Amino acid sequence: MTDPAISIRNLTKIYPIPFKRERVTAVHDLTLSVEPGQVYGLLGPNGSGKSTTMKILLGLVPATSGSTQIFGRDSALVESHEEVGYLPENPYFYKYLTGEETLRFYGKLCGLRGAVLRDRARELLKLVGLEDAADRRLGGYSKGMLQRIGLAQALVQEPRLLVLDEPTAGVDPAGSREIRDLILEFKSRGITVLLCSHLLGQVQEICDRIGILHKGRLVREGELDSLISIENQTQLIFENASPDLLARFEAEAEACGAKLVEKSKPHTTLERFFLEVTK
Amino acid sequence: MITQTTQPRHKFFSPARVGAIASNTLLELTRQKVFYFLLIFALLLIGASFFMDFLRSELQFQVLKDVSLGAMSVFTWLLAVLSTAMLLPKDIEDRTLYTILAKPVPRFEYLMGKLLGVFLLLAISMLVMSAMFAAVLYIKEQVAIAGAIRDSNLTAPAQIAEVTRTIKASTFTWSLVPGIIAIYFKAMIFATLTLLISTFASSWIFTIVVSVAVYLMGHLVPVAREYWQGDNGSWLAKGVEGGVTLMFPDLQLFDLASDIVAGNVITMGLFLQTVGLGCLYIGVYAWLAYFMFAKKEL
Repeated sequence: MTDPAISIRNLTKIYPIPFKRERVTAVHDLTLSVEPGQVYGLLGPNGSGKSTTMKILLGLVPATSGSTQIFGRDSALVESHEEVGYLPENPYFYKYLTGEETLRFYGKLCGLRGAVLRDRARELLKLVGLEDAADRRLGGYSKGMLQRIGLAQALVQEPRLLVLDEPTAGVDPAGSREIRDLILEFKSRGITVLLCSHLLGQVQEICDRIGILHKGRLVREGELDSLISIENQTQLIFENASPDLLARFEAEAEACGAKLVEKSKPHTTLERFFLEVTK
Repeated sequence: MITQTTQPRHKFFSPARVGAIASNTLLELTRQKVFYFLLIFALLLIGASFFMDFLRSELQFQVLKDVSLGAMSVFTWLLAVLSTAMLLPKDIEDRTLYTILAKPVPRFEYLMGKLLGVFLLLAISMLVMSAMFAAVLYIKEQVAIAGAIRDSNLTAPAQIAEVTRTIKASTFTWSLVPGIIAIYFKAMIFATLTLLISTFASSWIFTIVVSVAVYLMGHLVPVAREYWQGDNGSWLAKGVEGGVTLMFPDLQLFDLASDIVAGNVITMGLFLQTVGLGCLYIGVYAWLAYFMFAKKEL
């Protein structure tokens, strides 16, 4: 039996408030599991405990109680980080380094060197579409380019798990779509992704499973389709159906005791429409 | 398609990882134009060398050495404090620290890399300042020798050799090197201390203020020690003295340069004792910095 990519058991994080007796419980008795190859969306309003959970998982913050594991290893151990790539929200990186130098720097931290490191950096630059900007300093990169180089650095040691905190924050729709496509590409390669995002439409498009945190507690968790489908309703979409045919369907449904709730033409998404007209 | 590379196994300590962080820190600091300090030092050196023309000849080189080594000491200290104070807060603010520590990098390696980067910067600065100092002394020495021969109408080779030897003995000699190394150690101590303070300080301004305060206290340690030792050596006095000595390094112990310029001989034993003390302070402050940083919630 394979270990889950992420296993969080009874995780609690309490922050003391300096000079006060009060304490803030950022995460309360959280238990969840992410299977290998899944794209898992961790959702919740600001201050719900998403970032704290991610930081504990990455060993940046110690847990008050409970355990966190990455592929069966305690995530507080530095060795477990070999399996993880992380992209924080609004990362800056070192502005004076070029795209390629940035990847080489992070590659060296993961023990890569020489020709292997050089080839790996070039492959990743190609993957995230920054080959032409490889020799440009990050100070001159756009927000979308910074997010893409951030994704590339997260992938430098070929991790089996990617932790992405708001990867499309502040990025224009075209850049956001590119990042979404990259996440789907990672998924097709079998990489597990833990995604934190406020863009629910995007989460709906790419996540297999979601968990919703509210005030530090996991209030809902499960397969996306099963969570958002309305069990007692069915949707049929026809192409080239004549009004006569539709009228017959309606009459038949009514005769069988079913109620027609809505009859409309499907819409494209605003994102698709925007991308179409700005192409 | 991404090729599969062979993952090296994680090592508890990796000089390559520390080297990558150190070289990146050095690059970061040089991009912040900290080497402008060297320009100011060069201007001061040239200014002092012109000023010395108005002094009696026997005082000329002593004043130039005093001014130059004093400036070297202050500039390397300033460079150590200012370049270290921002390192940690900036990495936290830009979240680059998160991306580094999310890689298989132990926290002690991160701190070690940052510190080594600063030590490298200080070493380069010391070398450049020492080279400028030696060059100015050499030029002034040659001018002084030519002037002495001309003014005294010396013709005999023995007399010329004697004048040359006397003047050379008062300019740049290898006896100055221990003094310069002691200045470097003092700067390294302050870089480590500043890093320690930045692990718990709420702002980089606080870090700099505390480092400056320790610098000032460090010059008062001998006075404090004298006062407490006058208290019949009670356990309280000894405890306070020990605490003060640990918190505030006795900076006068690292001021070998003044003794050398004044003509005192620095024995190998005293030099090694100074270096050993420097290593001890660096070690203790670095360990405390790691202790604080290992527990820090990022």
